[in-house]
Amino acid sequence: MFRHLCYTSIVFAVVLLVAAACGPAANPSASPGASASASPSASAGTAATTLVIDQDVSDLISLDPAVVYEFSGVLLAHNVYDTLVRFEGTDLSTIKPGLAQSWDTKDAGTTWDMTFKLKTGQKFASGNAVTADDVVYSFQRAIKLNKSPAFLFTDIAQLKAESIKATDASTVVISLPKTASPAAFLTILTFTLGGVVDSKEVKTKETGGDSGSAYLLDHSSGSGPYVVDHWTKNAEVLLKTNPNYAGTKPALSGILVKHVPESTNQQFALEKGDADVARNLTPQQITALQGKAGVSTTTAASLLLVYVGMNALKPPLNNVNVREALRTAVDYDGIIKDLLKGNGKKIQGIVPQGLAGANESAPFQANVAQAQALMKAANVDKATLDFLVPTGTAPGGAAWSDIAVKLQSDWAKIGVTVNIKQQPTADLLTTYRAQQGQLVLINWGPDYPDPDANVGPFTDYKAKSIAYRNGWDDASIAQKGRDAALITDPTARAAAYKVITDYVLHNGPYVVLYQPTELFGLRSNVKGFNWSSIGWVDFASVTK
Amino acid sequence: MRFVGFLLRRVVGIAAVMIGVSVITFAISHVVPADPAVAALGDHATDAQIAAFRAEYRLDRPLPEQYATYVVGLLHGDLGRSIRTRRSVADDLADSFPATLELSLAALAISLLIGIPAGIWSAIYRGRLPDVIVRVAALAGGSLPVFWLGLIVIGLFYYQLGWFPGGGRLDTFVSPPPTRTGLYVVDSVLALDVDALRSSLIHLVLPSLTLGYFSTAVVARMTRSSMLEVLGQDYMRTARAKGLAERLIVVRHGLRNALIPTVTVIGLTFGSLLSGAVLTETIFSWPGLGRYATASAISLDFPAVLGVTLLAAIVYPVANLAVDIAYYWLDPRIQRG
Repeated sequence: MFRHLCYTSIVFAVVLLVAAACGPAANPSASPGASASASPSASAGTAATTLVIDQDVSDLISLDPAVVYEFSGVLLAHNVYDTLVRFEGTDLSTIKPGLAQSWDTKDAGTTWDMTFKLKTGQKFASGNAVTADDVVYSFQRAIKLNKSPAFLFTDIAQLKAESIKATDASTVVISLPKTASPAAFLTILTFTLGGVVDSKEVKTKETGGDSGSAYLLDHSSGSGPYVVDHWTKNAEVLLKTNPNYAGTKPALSGILVKHVPESTNQQFALEKGDADVARNLTPQQITALQGKAGVSTTTAASLLLVYVGMNALKPPLNNVNVREALRTAVDYDGIIKDLLKGNGKKIQGIVPQGLAGANESAPFQANVAQAQALMKAANVDKATLDFLVPTGTAPGGAAWSDIAVKLQSDWAKIGVTVNIKQQPTADLLTTYRAQQGQLVLINWGPDYPDPDANVGPFTDYKAKSIAYRNGWDDASIAQKGRDAALITDPTARAAAYKVITDYVLHNGPYVVLYQPTELFGLRSNVKGFNWSSIGWVDFASVTK
Repeated sequence: MRFVGFLLRRVVGIAAVMIGVSVITFAISHVVPADPAVAALGDHATDAQIAAFRAEYRLDRPLPEQYATYVVGLLHGDLGRSIRTRRSVADDLADSFPATLELSLAALAISLLIGIPAGIWSAIYRGRLPDVIVRVAALAGGSLPVFWLGLIVIGLFYYQLGWFPGGGRLDTFVSPPPTRTGLYVVDSVLALDVDALRSSLIHLVLPSLTLGYFSTAVVARMTRSSMLEVLGQDYMRTARAKGLAERLIVVRHGLRNALIPTVTVIGLTFGSLLSGAVLTETIFSWPGLGRYATASAISLDFPAVLGVTLLAAIVYPVANLAVDIAYYWLDPRIQRG
């Protein structure tokens, strides 16, 4: 038996080694489609025309445009479903035609009536023509399903299912109440929620009144440049080109997004040529990659803001001078240079750079003397506050805890002692939402690329979002925010937001720390990877 | 007959364990202060959305009612719906468990095929070079953290040498074989798919060595010490006095007696393999239960956490049952009761 065991061990080891020797170790550039002739993946083409992206996609729960609201889902659905209007590339200031060739907003007395004329010759992947009925079905479907992103239609745009009408095969008329912003609605339509599905096909897939959501969970029915080939849960999603796409044919025939949660593995795979894009690298890894053969690194703007919320219901944070003192004492440059290794911008207003209405004014930088004077003006010598901090890594790549410790030392200089309490984000949010935090370190990203998506939550107490969580009830500024959302003239609107953001900068309960930068590792031959700060890239314009 | 009675007692025991585990896990998972609806919907959700979500998942009902609903579903084979993935937990488990089982079985095979011969070798050559080698290797195996070991192994064998792939279950452009068992090695053999077999075997090497190193070390040390004890017994001297061949003495008289404590350890380490799989799966991008459990726990996905716990609660007693059956075969005294 002893000898038998030894033999078995040897045979087992030999089998493994032979298996190892049989072929190169997962090197797509050396093992193109040849070994995959019988596989569905093979139809995506060889490695030369498939972009392999290593990314943590544990947030992926659906590929249905009416459901997706997670980073991975949005990235994929954006490339599968066309929208009526769109932003092109990284520009978030100019709305361009999508499925609609033109659109027009009319003041119809009690409503805004928005008319969209569809382009001709647009087809879904099934071959069906894109019609106004498909648009109506898609938007009504999103409202009916009422999943995570639906509030953009129902709350922000105050859209009702019956207000979406097809007046002929290529014309859609949407009526919004006068309290909603047509400008904000157009930006919402660029998002995946505005993705148009093939109503004829989806209706055949409906089961039990689910509007086809079981089918669209992991299949696609759109008119975008790509279709969903397969989604192997916890492993990968493969997109293939849409044979009926009306636009320019994409250079890459396949986009493979692999679930690789560990950033070290992503880095290794990128360097070995097993991945073309590494999505979740740390600033240290990006630095390590620089100068290495075959790889390049790139950064892109994001629309996130990392900030500290100061609960104005909790003394001494109810004193505007104390809040100003806390803002004044922080060493913002130190955080960006030392902790983020430069992967962030010094933004102190509540609207990030890249959106209309962004306020570049950044008057605060570690002025201890001025901060002490403000504390004195507030008659506060010393204060002790709880500081809630998420676990893990903050946008921009520094540990949340490192940022918290840095702030703790900055504030100690003006007599404010903070007790750092680290919690998983879900626990922290439960406390924060209930107005129970004192100081809370967290980040915010707009739901749609419009200043209203930040100004509303940060100023309107009644919206029960960020202003509410920090107990800041300033009715006057909230009204100014609501008014600004409805201004149609861009110049006048920008001027209104300047007034609002200047006011919040010195009076609001926020210490806006920075706007993080996104980091990507790429193979050197990957071109056209232009990441939009809303959270996607147009795969159709990527080459390798 | 006695064996059937023994089996029945164990099955009843497993059922009792399951009930206990479900009650305790359910209670613990519902006393954490955070709200799973907030975890699922995030920072931007409105109060109305959160309320609707809580109603959809019956999180707004009293705890005993939630538990009763869960148990009734369980008796109908329904493990509930995952809060994170919004899919049936049973479907999620069916997707992820085979990957973990395949990895754990490969790691177990490695620990038996390497650990037992190494332990015997070490005992026979006690105090000499082979013994020193085995003991040092076993000491390292018992003390290296899986996470660190995994990164080192990937760094060396994938990144530096390029001998093995760095993660996943198959090469990028190889498709999985048609699902019969969910174990890619078995399924690719059944489908006569050579590419998938080669690819799945090669992908198993690094994660199963990483995961199996600790249990290999434990098995080797236990086999060594019990072999040493057995080798000094009177019946071994008798066997030698009878003039039996040394190989026969070691295997038939020595190993069979020495295996009993080793088998106990194997049962216990199978449990540790499943828990070790959590880290190993993360490092090797292995789409298994460990990664599913971690992601579920982080997002306070109670139905998924309960599903994983119940599955583990079945696997542990079943592994122990296998150990007991092995005792039965190894030691006639146990059969006599």
